[in-house]
Order: sequence, then structure tokens, then C-alpha cells
Amino acid sequence: MLAYLARRLLVMIPTLVAISAIVFFIIQLPPGDYLSTMVEELLAQGEKPDGDRIRMLREQFGLDRTPIEQYLHWAGGLLVGDLGWSFEYNLPVSQVVGERLVMSFLLAFAATLFTYIVAFPIGIYSAVRQYSVGDYALTFVGFIGLATPSFLIALVVMHFSNVWFGAPVGGLYDPAYAEQPLSWAKFVSVLGHIWIPIVVIGLSSTAEMIRQLRANLLDELQRPYVVTGRAKGLTEGRLLFRYPLRMALNPFIADIGSILPKLISGSAIVGVVLSLPTNGPMLLRALQSHDMYLAGSFLMIEAVLVVVGMLISDIALALLDPRIRLGAGSEK
Amino acid sequence: MSQPIPHYVDPRPFDPQAGERLSPELERYYMSSQWRMMWLKLRRHRLAVISGAILAALYAMILIAEILAPYDPNTRHTEFIYAPPQDVRLFHEGRFVGPHVLGWEKSLDMDTLKRVYTPDPAKVEKLRFLCSGDTYRFWGLIEGSFHLVCPAEGGQFFWLGTDRLGRDMLSRMISGARISLTIGVVGVAISFVLGIALGGLAGYYGGWVDATITRAIEIIRSFPKLPLFMALSAALPIWLPPIWVYFGITMIVGLIDWTGLARAVRSKLLALREEDFCTAAVLMGANPRRIIGRHLLPSFMSHLVAVATLNIPEMILAETALSFLGLGLRPPVTSWGVLLTEAQNINAVALYPWLLLPIVPVVVTVLAFNFLGDGLRDAADPYK
Amino acid sequence: MTRSRLATAILLAALALASAGPASAQGVTDSPSLAAEVAAGRLPAVAERLPRAPLVHAPGGDFEPGRHGGELRLIMGRSQDVRMMAVYGYARLVGYDTRFQLQPDILEAVENEDDRVFTLRLRPGHRWSDGHPFTSADFRYWWEDVVGNRQIAPSGPPQTLLADGQPPRVTFPDAHTVRFAWDRPNPYFLPALAAPSPLYIYRPAHYLKQVHQKYADKAKLEDRVKAERMRNWAQLHNRLDNMYRNDNPDLPTLEPWVLQTKPPAERFVFVRNPYFHRIDADGRQLPYIDRVTMAVADAKLIPLKVNAGEADLQARGLAFNNYTFLRQAAKQGAFDVRLWDTAKGAQLALYPNLNAEDPVWRTLNRDPRFRRALSLAINRREINQVVYFGLALEGHNTVLPNSVLHDPALRAARFDLAEANRLLDEIGLKRVSRRGLRQLPDGRPLEITVETAGEDTEQTDVLQLIHDSWLEAGVKLFIKPSQREYFRNRVFAGKSVMTIWSGIENGLLTPGTNPEEFVPVSQQHLHWPKWGQHVETGGRSGEPIDDPAARELMRLNEAWRNAGGEFERFAAWKRILEIHAEQVFTIGLVANVRQPVVVSTRLRNVPQTGIYNWDPGAFFGIYRPDSFWFAEARRTAAAQP
Repeated sequence: MLAYLARRLLVMIPTLVAISAIVFFIIQLPPGDYLSTMVEELLAQGEKPDGDRIRMLREQFGLDRTPIEQYLHWAGGLLVGDLGWSFEYNLPVSQVVGERLVMSFLLAFAATLFTYIVAFPIGIYSAVRQYSVGDYALTFVGFIGLATPSFLIALVVMHFSNVWFGAPVGGLYDPAYAEQPLSWAKFVSVLGHIWIPIVVIGLSSTAEMIRQLRANLLDELQRPYVVTGRAKGLTEGRLLFRYPLRMALNPFIADIGSILPKLISGSAIVGVVLSLPTNGPMLLRALQSHDMYLAGSFLMIEAVLVVVGMLISDIALALLDPRIRLGAGSEK
Repeated sequence: MSQPIPHYVDPRPFDPQAGERLSPELERYYMSSQWRMMWLKLRRHRLAVISGAILAALYAMILIAEILAPYDPNTRHTEFIYAPPQDVRLFHEGRFVGPHVLGWEKSLDMDTLKRVYTPDPAKVEKLRFLCSGDTYRFWGLIEGSFHLVCPAEGGQFFWLGTDRLGRDMLSRMISGARISLTIGVVGVAISFVLGIALGGLAGYYGGWVDATITRAIEIIRSFPKLPLFMALSAALPIWLPPIWVYFGITMIVGLIDWTGLARAVRSKLLALREEDFCTAAVLMGANPRRIIGRHLLPSFMSHLVAVATLNIPEMILAETALSFLGLGLRPPVTSWGVLLTEAQNINAVALYPWLLLPIVPVVVTVLAFNFLGDGLRDAADPYK
Repeated sequence: MTRSRLATAILLAALALASAGPASAQGVTDSPSLAAEVAAGRLPAVAERLPRAPLVHAPGGDFEPGRHGGELRLIMGRSQDVRMMAVYGYARLVGYDTRFQLQPDILEAVENEDDRVFTLRLRPGHRWSDGHPFTSADFRYWWEDVVGNRQIAPSGPPQTLLADGQPPRVTFPDAHTVRFAWDRPNPYFLPALAAPSPLYIYRPAHYLKQVHQKYADKAKLEDRVKAERMRNWAQLHNRLDNMYRNDNPDLPTLEPWVLQTKPPAERFVFVRNPYFHRIDADGRQLPYIDRVTMAVADAKLIPLKVNAGEADLQARGLAFNNYTFLRQAAKQGAFDVRLWDTAKGAQLALYPNLNAEDPVWRTLNRDPRFRRALSLAINRREINQVVYFGLALEGHNTVLPNSVLHDPALRAARFDLAEANRLLDEIGLKRVSRRGLRQLPDGRPLEITVETAGEDTEQTDVLQLIHDSWLEAGVKLFIKPSQREYFRNRVFAGKSVMTIWSGIENGLLTPGTNPEEFVPVSQQHLHWPKWGQHVETGGRSGEPIDDPAARELMRLNEAWRNAGGEFERFAAWKRILEIHAEQVFTIGLVANVRQPVVVSTRLRNVPQTGIYNWDPGAFFGIYRPDSFWFAEARRTAAAQP
């Protein structure tokens, strides 16, 4: 196990180096840089940018250097834990990112929980009563979330919940709590706001979950041990929950690693529409405005989370499922 | 005590192979090709069949989009801006008149700056069928003016309402289908080719080829898709002709999506190349290309088709998401994504809800592809 | 002229002061919100916080003196929009009033000798928001230690401070006087001080000296540079010194409200500046409103949030087409939607690229008959009706009717296809068939690709309308959507033939307005980028101007700059505008597309109609948001328009 872990961790190093180079290359692909975006935006707003100041900023931000130099500067910083400088916020990236991580985590966690709560009963029912009317109806409802562009759902839900229930528009808490630390009152405010994004984000991943759970469970239900169990007179409920469901759940528990990257870019578009103080919209914005160190560092953090998440998933699976032996059979 | 059991002997001659002989149906079933088996199994999957039929209808529709649309999608009716949908009625004042609509009475509300439309019972406008209306170039080639349905002479027929320039929403949705429905298929085709080629190489050769390709896949999968889409499409010179932008975007969608297929192909191949039939082919001197192409791929092609079908809706949704971000397609090109982006404002939601209607074909298409894909996947599984 | 005008203004201010005399001496009223601070001795009494001669804000008209208190809620699309408080606050050395005349504001008076020597007189006793005195030392610090420091300002004094390339001689006769003197006239100086994004010629010296190499303790400064992870002290200085960007809560200011929140944040809070220099006629220290909060939300969400009553004063993020939606919600009575005028010369204009790379197109675009014909073939009435509900003002991209320079002939734009066709025939662009497209001289069809970088659909909608009427003249229009960066770079390189973008920013011209938007002096001008670049770079790049009319414009620009008085400036302007009307360098479509302004029904002193403009105007700035106040009761305004 330890040797396996060590090998996995070693392999991560070249992967991450390659990713950092590609990340940097990709965010440089679109034409222009942060300052040209800034100038364009000022012009579009009717403001006149000050040429001298732009030149000065370009030097100050190091945008006049070659991309290779910029990359080495950034990657070198990453090695010592310096995420670089955000042009747009005029702050170190670590300060910009840190603020929003709590809310991103809260939202990702809540949305995942919502998905599980909705998808589990539907998935189990659909598998047990395969091809029944209920199966079709529930699957259909679950799929609506997958099939509708989330940006539109978000807007519609937000507008009508405001009109009908007077729900607040956008955000994750009342603006008055924006600059306050987390408190009970703020938490209550968050509860009042968070259900819209949870429903919107949760719905889009529910269908996938229902489908997987149903397929996994159907596979298990055909196994001989189920027949044996039934022959031995186990009740249907006991029969279902005791073994097949546990087996069918393994892939999901193993999938826990994939929640990690969601912290960064999860449901970014919904985040934009609902104006959530999470990392996703910030990443989109950074990409759009060429705030390259912010965007780059975001993507790097995310890549690390993906790689770590995969590792966690593998370990979780091994712990859960005694049939899997890590490190064995990987030649094939 | 016991009665002797009456002895019965079948008078017909004994056939020792009767147990193995099949009824003609069963024989057809067992002897049928893999594709046919798949079809037979799919047929039992009712939802999948219905979905398939809907999709077939949709794709047939885009072939003759110009004829189906009552108007040219770009014809502006500046007298009818933001006109709500008109109901098609059969009876007027208790009398049967055939399919018709009531003309709009329009007034301007200068307080809220809104155009107000009320149906005018005096204007009974009978629809015309198989008629001559707006002229168009069929697929950009043949001139024509033949439509399935047209408004009455001098009347209007806005079944799904009009947009901010008075363009018919129905015609725009039909016209947008052409791009939206093909973008996924083309994108999947690209990722299919890439996935099979690279996954095949990795799976068959193993060794350093495998290591390189797997690492590449892992790296690509480590990226969040959305930023990748964004950066690549932002790098796409948007001043290209719209049609090239369209191809560029399908390319990007395909380029990012191939990894899933490649992984599937690779793992299947890794397992299959150890099978006896493969060893036999190698011993008979077949070259790798022939082995992959003739022996290995066909054995799990059906599975791949199912996977690909499930990928198409993702691409259709990706197009709408890209349009939302201001990347991807933009007006005057019409696609469902473009239409939805235009509806992505509070005016549409609160005042002109019919602008949100393009969501219906998107949902229908995505659902249909998903159910068909599910059905195909079940059908492709040889163990069920 | 300028001098006498300012003198009158000073006189008026003095009169207003005299009438409010007792108020300024003893009877000034403080905001109740500061009472506790004053009682505890943490803050001096209000009379000691005000300059000896505060500015008395008594504009007359509908102005109602108000009361202290309340919180003004605004919504912005970005966290960088925190700078908008420096725009709305609009405390400037000199600023525009609502008739767009320059008036002293922070300054007690300005003396202007022929635009060459400017004597700025500060208000004795004026203090920064942290209570430190505001004196000529703050100007000296800026001139000697900021502009004069190679590390902070490598390129030396800003362009607007150079008259014929020469920097001014800046002297500081006493603690409350600063003098700028040039040999040649510099008519750009005062407008630059009054701009929404102004030229700040002073700095809070006492604060910034802590991080200036010349004044700060070396070791301490170095530690601080390291702690803040800056490259050097100059970078640290620049980072803290952002009077316009307004993102440093520690930076003392002279604006009515002071930033309290340290970025990044989702909501910014501003509190009243206890040392603000304006009072009302009854002696209440302004601003009336104690707190301003600025919530940051996605720009697309702003109409929705406004509709939910989350803003008290909002124009940013709202567009003309949001009016219907907001008006319906306004009927519930929480807010009122007003339509303000805008000051753009044209909401949208077509820019034929006179520096196009393609020789055939270049020649054609440079033919005034061609530009005139294209303009004649546009049905502006239809555009107005379809897109702007008939409320916009049709016409060329030029001066607006409210300006003293206006003449109906300058804006008049007809829709006359027969004349358009005649002109195109005259140029020799023959039609292949009677109804078909015309041909370029080299045989290509006359297909114009108009490039747009608009982020909403307005531009493409308008272009599609133009497409139809141009077709009648045998001209085909193609729309090419583009991203902003591409868009501009293609224009600069001459790769695009024609573009669409908003018209000139300021159509409310006065003789004193800088004619920069009408003469080829900037690469940003989409119709003559290479000429502008040539002028901008002093001939190092771009192309020399080789069009007689454009050269004439440059001569008039010189004449304007060196003019002896307002009369000469007026004459230069008149001629510039005539040339534009004649030449149709840009094809304007419609102007004065109204700006919806949402105002809480409790908020007073926001004018019923106003002009929403960047420069001059500073959006709400010239209407003095510090004089807005909250009443107890709601008041619903009459329906409009």
C-alpha cells in the first residue's frame, strides 16, 4: 500500500508540471492581455483610458516580458507556494481565492447532498420496478434537470421565487452580512438564499446519478447471491438493502474524490447567473479578463485537486471493496 | 395397491437431436448478426424506440427546414414586435371555418413603453397550406417559395410569437435546429475518430505508447472542461465566416471530448487482445491494423455507438453554454443556443415568455438522445 | 472670457456665503450619526471640521434642503466599480455645474490668465477625511515627489500638463495658493481637473510619505515592501495611491463618502467624510446621507435586483430596454423610473475605415459622395421605431440640440433612396442588373462587411435593419460579429472596411470642449486610426494625413488650442462641425437613447430629468449626490414620459 502510494505521488509530479505548462499556454491563447481587456472595457463604458498609466501598469505587471519568462516567474512562484498577483483585484491571488473557498465548499457540499437525497430513492425505485410507469415518470423528471441549460433555469427560478415568495435575488446571503465573519445570523441568511442554487445545481447532476445507480443496482440484482438470498427467504427489503445496494453504492463513494475539483469551477455558469460569491464565477471572470495569474492559479489548484481526488477515490474504493487490490493488475 | 401407470409411446419416429433443434424464430435469433440482435433487444425498450423516432423526425425536419418554416427566419415584421403566440383555432363564433388565427390589434402603451396586442375577432385569417410564401434558397442552392403552411393573404401567422425585431419564433427555431442538431453529431464524429484511433493504439500496443496516451488523457481530464472550452473558443478568430466558427467549435468540442471514448476503447482492447480469437489472428499473420479493425473493434462497436449517443446531448448543451458566455456562435447565425442566449434576460422571462420556447426542442432532443443512448447501451450488452 | 466667467462664479459663491454667513461661522449642523464621536472627543465639533469658508450648496430651482441620515444602496457589476464612488462623489478642484459650466469646488477660487497661468486658491482650514490639513504642501508632494520621481512616474508629467511639449512651472506661494504657469495656452488643464476620472494634482502627502523613499525610514520601508510582497517601494506607493481607483480604505480623501471596506468584497460600505467641505444653505454639513453601500452583482442581475427593491439610486447596469420591466414593478410604489437624456453624439454610428488596407475600398470610403449615399440610404425613422420605441433622436453623429453650437442643419439626415442611388451612379458603381447589386470598380460586388463587437444584440439588430434599405440602393451588408480586442486591432491594421460602435461620447459641446473626438488625433478613432496614430506618436508610426478635409480639421484643432478667447474657439468649432456635416466621416444613426434611472420614492433632490453622461457629467456627479436625502414618506411621481 505504501509503495503504491509513493509511486502514485511520484507520477503526479510530471503530470502537474505538464499541466502547468498547458494551463499557461491555454490561458495565453486568446488574443490580448489584461490591460487591453481593461482598456476595451473602459472604452465601452465611455471612459477614456490614460495611455501613460497603461504603459506603466504593463511594466509593473510584467506583461512586457516574453511568455516564457512570465511562465517561469509564475511556475517558480508556485513551487514556493506563491500563487502570483491578481491584476483585477490588485491583490495576491491567495487572498482573493481564500475568501470564497468557504462558500464554495458549503455550496458544493450542499448541492451534492441534495443530489444524493433526490437521486437515491428514484434510482432504487427505478431499478426495482424496472420499466414500470413510475420508473419512466421519475427518470423523466430527473432528466429534465440534465436537459435544460442551467443558466436559463437559474434565471427563471430566481425571478419567480422573487415574484411569488419574495425570495432574495442572487447571492448567498443578505448583503448586510457581506463583510461580517460567519455568525449564526449570517448562517440563517445563507439558509434563506442557498436553496435556489442548490436546487438548480443539484438538478443538473441528479439525472446522471439516477442513471448510474439504476444501472449498477440492476447489475447486482441479477447476481446469483440475490437469488440465493431470496431462496433462503430474506424479505425483499432486507435483500435489497443488505447487499446489492451496498455494492451499487461503491462507485459513488469512490467518486467522492471528484467533489474536490467542484470547489473551484463547479457550476460556474449558474454561479454567474445567480451572482454567487463562490470561486466558479471568479474563475470565469478571470479567464475572460485575462487576469492570467488568477486564472492560472485557479486552474492549477483545480488540477491538483483532480489528481488528488483520483487518488482518494482509488484508496476509498480499495478500502470499501475487498475485491480490489491496489497495485495489482495494473499491468493489464 | 398401486395401479400400473398406463404406458404411452409416441407413435412418431424418434429424433435424437430434437432438444437442440430451434424453432425458426429462435434460429433466426441465435443466427442473427450482432447488429440485428441489438435491434431486436432495442425494440423491447419502448422509450428508446420512441426517442429514436422523435430524433428521426427532427433530423428529417432539418432536411426540409425551409419548407416547414412558415416564414424566412430573418424576415422582420416591424409592425409585430414582441407579438405573443397566436392560437390556431378551428371554430369561430361557433362556426367551423378550418384552421385559422385571429389577427392582432396593436396599441402602444407609452407609459410602460410596451406594445400591447389583443386578438381582433373581426380579423379571421385562415391559414393556407402547401402554399407560396417567403422566398428562400433551399440549402442555399435552389430558389423556392413553397411552404407547408402560410398565413392568410395580408395576414400573419405567429404560432410561437415574434421576437424583438418581429421575426417569427417558430421559423427561427426550425432554422436553428439545423446547426444545433448537427453540431453534436459532428463533434461526436470527431471525438469518435480520435478516441478510437488513440485508444486503439494505446490498448493494442501497450508499453510506452499506452503510457504516453494514458498520461495525455489524464492531463486533459484534469482540466475543468468549461475553462478549456472558453480559452479555446476565445482563441478562435471570431471574425471568421460564421460557418467556419461553427466548424471550429465542433472541432473544439470534439477535441476535448475524445478522452472518455479513448479510455473505453483502451480498456476494452486491453481485455480483448488476450482472447483466443485474437491470438489466433496473430498466429495467422494478420497485421495489427487488420486485427484492430477487423477483429477487435467490431466486437465492441455497438457499445461505442451507445456511448457516443450519450455524448451528443452533452455537446448540444455545450453549444448553448458557450453561446451564453458570448463565445461560440453569435447572431446573425441562428442556433438554439443563440436563441436561448437572446432570451437570457429578465425581459424575456418577465414580459415575453414565449422567447424561452427554444428550450423545448433542446430538452426534447437531449432527452431523446439520452433515452436512445440508454436503450442502445442495454441492447449492446451481450450478457443481457 | 473664461476668466470673467469664473470670476462671476466666485462672486456668486461669495454672495451665497454672505447670505449663509451665520451658518458658516457658528450655526452649522452636524449629522446626528457623528454626535457620539464628537461627545466622546474623538472628533472635533463640526464648525472646526469645516473649512473657514465652506462651499454652500444652494442651487435653487427644485432643490429642497434636507435632513441627515439614511443609507443609499447602489448595485455595481464589478468590484472594481468601487471607483464609481469617486465619480458620483465628484469632489473636484473645479467641477461642472448642471449647466456644464466650470465652477470652483474644492478650490475657493481659480484665477486664469489667458489659459496660461492658473492660480489655484485653497480653502483655509480644509482637511482630509482623516483630519489632516489640506494645503499646498499636498500639491508640492505630488509635483516634486510623485511626478518628479523617476521611479514612480518614469514618463514624467502627464500629457495634459504639456503645452507644446513643455511642462508647467509650478510654484507654491503660500500654504493655500498653487500656481501653474505655461508659456503657451493649455486649455486642457481645467477640464482635466473637472473630469470624472480627473487629473489629481495633489496627494495626501502625510499618508503617502510613510512609503516614500525620500521620507520614510529605510529599514521600516523595506520591511513593509517585503511584507506586502511588492517588488520595490515605488510599486507599494502606487498601490496605496489610487485616488481614482478608490480601493484603499486607508487613503485619506476629499470626497463626500469614504471607503470603509477593504477589497476584495461583495459589498462595499462608504461612510460620510466628517471633514467634507460643502454645507447647505441652512448650515447642515453635507452629505445628507450617512452611509452608502455598493453591492456587487453580475451585471445581468442588476435589473432583477433593482426590481426587487434592492437599490435606491441606480442607472448603471440598466438599459433602455429594461424600462418596460422596471416601469411595471415601479407601480408598486417603492421606486420611480425616470428617463434621463444621454449626451452621446449618436447611440450608434457606422465608421467607414478611411485607412482600409484594400486600395479599392480605401478610395471608395474616402469619397464623401459614397459616405453621403450610404447615409441617405438608411431609414433612421424605422430604426428609431423598432429598436427605441420612437423616443430617440434621429440624425448624424455630431453636436446635440442642447448645445450652444447646435444648428439643425448639422444633424439633419434624410432618408432618400433616389438621391443615394444617384450619388452611387455618379461615383461609377454600376448595377449589374436593374435590381441587382452594384459592382466595385474592380468587378467585385459591392458587399460591405460591417464588423461589430457589441455584446448584446442591439448592434446586430440595427445592422439588420440597415441591410434592407441598403439593398434597395444596390449595396449588400454583411454582419461580422467580433470580440473587442480583435475588432480594434483589425481596425488599427486597416483590415476592416467598416465598423459599428457608439458615436462620439460628448455631444453637448461648448466652445471650451476639447475637439479631440472630431479631429484625427487618436488611434482609437475607428474611421481614421492610422492618421490618429501618426499624430499621437509624433509621426513615428501610422500614416500621414493625406485628405484635405482631415488636414483642415487638424488646422482648426491648432486654431482652437491657441485661440485667444471663447469667440475664436467658437469659430473654430463651428467650422469643424460644418466639415463633419459636409463630409459625413462617420454615419450616425440615432442619438439620445434614454437612460432609465431608478430612484427610491423616498430619495429627494434627484432631478426628474437630467443628463446621464460620463464627461462632462460624471453620471450623477454634477447633480451632487451629497445633496440627495431620504424623506420619511414615499412620494410617487407623475407617470411619464
